[in-house]
Amino acid sequence: MVMRSLVSVVDDDESVRESLPDLLRAFGYAAQAFSSAEEFLASDCVCRTGCLILDVAMPSMSGPDLQRELTLRRKEIPIVFITAHQDESVRPRLLGQGAVECLFKPFSATALREALNAAFRVT
Amino acid sequence: MDNELSRVVDALPGLVWTARPDGHIDFLNQRWCDYTGVSVDEAYGRGWQSAIHPEDLPELLERWQSILASGEPSEMEARLRRFDGEYRWFLFRACPLADASGAVVKWCGMNTDIEDRRRSEETQRAHWWLSSSAREHHFRSVGDDIPGLAALMTPAGQVEIANRQVLEYFGATLNELKGWAIADTVHLDDLPGVLAAWRGAVETGHPYDVEARLRRADGVYRWFHTHGFPLRDTDGRIVLWYLLQTDVDDRKRGDALLAGEKQLLELVAEGHSMSEILEAICRLIENTATGCYCSVVLVDPSGARLEHGAAPSLPASFITSIIGRPVNVDSGPCAMAASLNEQVIAADLTSETRWAAYAWCPMALAHGLQACWSTPISSTAGKVLGAFALYYDEPRTPTSLEQGLIEQFTYIASIAIERAQNDAALQRSEAFLAEAQHLSSTGSFSWRVATDEIMWSEQLYRIFEFDQGVPVTSELMGTRVHPEDVPLLNQMLDRSRGDGSDVEHEYRLQMPNRSVKYLHVVAHATRDQDGRLEYIGAVQDVTERRLSEEALGKVRSELAHVARVTSLGALTASIAHEVNQPLSGIITNASTCLEMLAADPPDVDGARTTARRTIRDGNRAADVITRLRALFSKKETTLESMNLNEAAREVIALLRSELQRSRMLLRTELADDLPPVTGDRVQLQQVILNLLRNATDAMNDVDDRPRELVIRTERDDDDRVRLTVQDAGVGFDRQAAGRLFEAFYTTKNGGMGIGLSVSRSIIESHQGRLWAAPNDGPGARFSFSIPRASGGATDSGPRAPEGVTDTHGLGVIRMPVAAARRVMRNT
Repeated sequence: MVMRSLVSVVDDDESVRESLPDLLRAFGYAAQAFSSAEEFLASDCVCRTGCLILDVAMPSMSGPDLQRELTLRRKEIPIVFITAHQDESVRPRLLGQGAVECLFKPFSATALREALNAAFRVT
Repeated sequence: MDNELSRVVDALPGLVWTARPDGHIDFLNQRWCDYTGVSVDEAYGRGWQSAIHPEDLPELLERWQSILASGEPSEMEARLRRFDGEYRWFLFRACPLADASGAVVKWCGMNTDIEDRRRSEETQRAHWWLSSSAREHHFRSVGDDIPGLAALMTPAGQVEIANRQVLEYFGATLNELKGWAIADTVHLDDLPGVLAAWRGAVETGHPYDVEARLRRADGVYRWFHTHGFPLRDTDGRIVLWYLLQTDVDDRKRGDALLAGEKQLLELVAEGHSMSEILEAICRLIENTATGCYCSVVLVDPSGARLEHGAAPSLPASFITSIIGRPVNVDSGPCAMAASLNEQVIAADLTSETRWAAYAWCPMALAHGLQACWSTPISSTAGKVLGAFALYYDEPRTPTSLEQGLIEQFTYIASIAIERAQNDAALQRSEAFLAEAQHLSSTGSFSWRVATDEIMWSEQLYRIFEFDQGVPVTSELMGTRVHPEDVPLLNQMLDRSRGDGSDVEHEYRLQMPNRSVKYLHVVAHATRDQDGRLEYIGAVQDVTERRLSEEALGKVRSELAHVARVTSLGALTASIAHEVNQPLSGIITNASTCLEMLAADPPDVDGARTTARRTIRDGNRAADVITRLRALFSKKETTLESMNLNEAAREVIALLRSELQRSRMLLRTELADDLPPVTGDRVQLQQVILNLLRNATDAMNDVDDRPRELVIRTERDDDDRVRLTVQDAGVGFDRQAAGRLFEAFYTTKNGGMGIGLSVSRSIIESHQGRLWAAPNDGPGARFSFSIPRASGGATDSGPRAPEGVTDTHGLGVIRMPVAAARRVMRNT
């Protein structure tokens, strides 16, 4: 049996947590959703996650905060940021800090697939 | 000459001399030298001439020459100076000594003292003159009737005859008088003048006049006018001088008083200090009313105590014991006079019983004063300012003459005191004013419109940086007024000249160092008794305030801009975020749904679930929009019959200071016969405000021409009313005219471009039209035209414009939603 790559979703928005894992599974990935960065860090998924889809703005620990935390823990997980704030200056900054992609909500299934492909190519 | 002869000659009882045939003196005896005090060596040749009276010398020399020429014995008369300086008349006799051939080899001369003889000759001549014609009798009979002093004097200055008045005045018998010299009767100060006049008259033989004080028997000097004229004998020689002396003392004193009074008033007018003037008054009185001592005391500002005024001749210890005494009837005559505002006469202090409580009389007596007359000094308003006192060292009651004097000088003292007090009050008030002007950077001015006379306060000179006192003209002011503000100022001046309305405006100065001052001017128009227009005004230098306001305004507008941009940006971001979240869910779900359906086998249940989620997220997005919509609450518009002129005037009033600050020349051309319109007053005013603001903004950078702003109302075609705002600003491209009213179209830096689009929606909701047109010259004009109120009469009441449903029947209507929303964006 092929071990399906795990994609973890961290977003405080429930509709994303509901919808995105289903789409990821439809794409053939294993998917796991977390409502906060803390929840993700506390899970056993950190080591198994092949790609992290991460919301930028979250109430307590933000997406970039989680990215820094993972770097500190030497968990080099490819990250695809997603955000509902259409601030064009955010994207280059996040990419510069090592993100694979930054998608503005709402994003298309195609854009998501390409980002995931890129993430897994990196590894 | 041998010794024997020499001794003989020296012993001769006469002054002996010899001369060569040419007149050269070659010998003078010892007696000559002793008499004249001139030594032999000095006297030889011409040296002897120094002993001859200068007046007699020319004639003597002339005569001497003719004697020498004639060779005959002869004589001549001249005054010779004795060693002690006194001249006496001498007879000079000269005899020739001839040789065998008859030629003169020597002249022998002798001088003899004939002074006494000459005097007795004069006297004899006078006696002859008097007796020969019975003139003495005549003089005596007439002389006593002459209303003055009359006397006959010899040319030597001795009284010969005097009338009874002379004897009585001088208190002497005729014989005593004959022994007196002129100096015994004339005041020492006047003696030089009298002697000069007398000598001049005796020398020239002309009548003379002189005024001098003559000492009366009791020692008092009185002024007399002396008229002297010569009496001659039949040979024309002066035998006597007739002296007529008239008492002019009263006139002299009157003259002196008048001169003194004039001098005092001059002192007052020239602004001398009060104490100087009061002292001058005292001295004048003391010189006029002989024997008195004069003082002035003042009542202090509280009215309770006496203060020092002046007392130049009274001892300081006397004055100090009066000063500080309470103003009441008990503390002394001056305090009493001031307290009662009545004259107080204490004719004899030795028997005076008043003021015992303060032991005033013993104090005065101890200073040698025995009489005191004190008179209150009152202001024109009747307030007692002080008291004026005359003291004597003997008991005295004032004569009517002295009362007149007191009255006259009390009055002058009151003028001096009142003037000094007024001056002090004025100076205080001026100092207050100057300080206040300085502190508030405010100068004041007056402007007589007809004559263009302008007066400035010191502070105003400082503000304009002109030298104090330079005559102010409008030309001079023009050199300081900022060039851009000259038209504004001229407009203001023209209006002031015309209607005399009160003025309030601001303008700038440009100083020589290019710095700029902002002035705020307020002026009130008054009219003088002849109805001529005069402005009294204040000019405040508001530069500091204006600069800080400008800085503040700049910060505020920047802040407003930032706030506007950020709030709009924040609003957009917030709307986007709120909508993007559900949209994201919708798209993801829809994508998942498609993926599920595309799977083999299709996951229909999963697709169904995701489709449901899609619907749910769609509803969520719709909710967000509804919430945002709720932010724009609905509002109703109020319609009323209104006058567009009034509405415009209110807006202008609102903007006036802003227009003035940005130096706009506003011209209002509001038609008098403008019919009323029906509309929402506030909304239409917002349109006017917006148009005026746009015009102002368009001219903010205009510096090469007047910033002329015109607001005009007029009747338009088809029963409409038109309002136009015209500027001289940057204008706009003709092609851009159509886009001007689009939302978010702007030509302004930092402008939102909403104003005109909102304005147009408001005007359209009033069934009107708003349009723009470029001017022929610089700038543009924006006009709107709306229908007049139906019925046309001003009292027709509010009516809804056509096509608008009046739902309440009270002139309150609901506007179409689209228009309402556009309006809301402006509020």
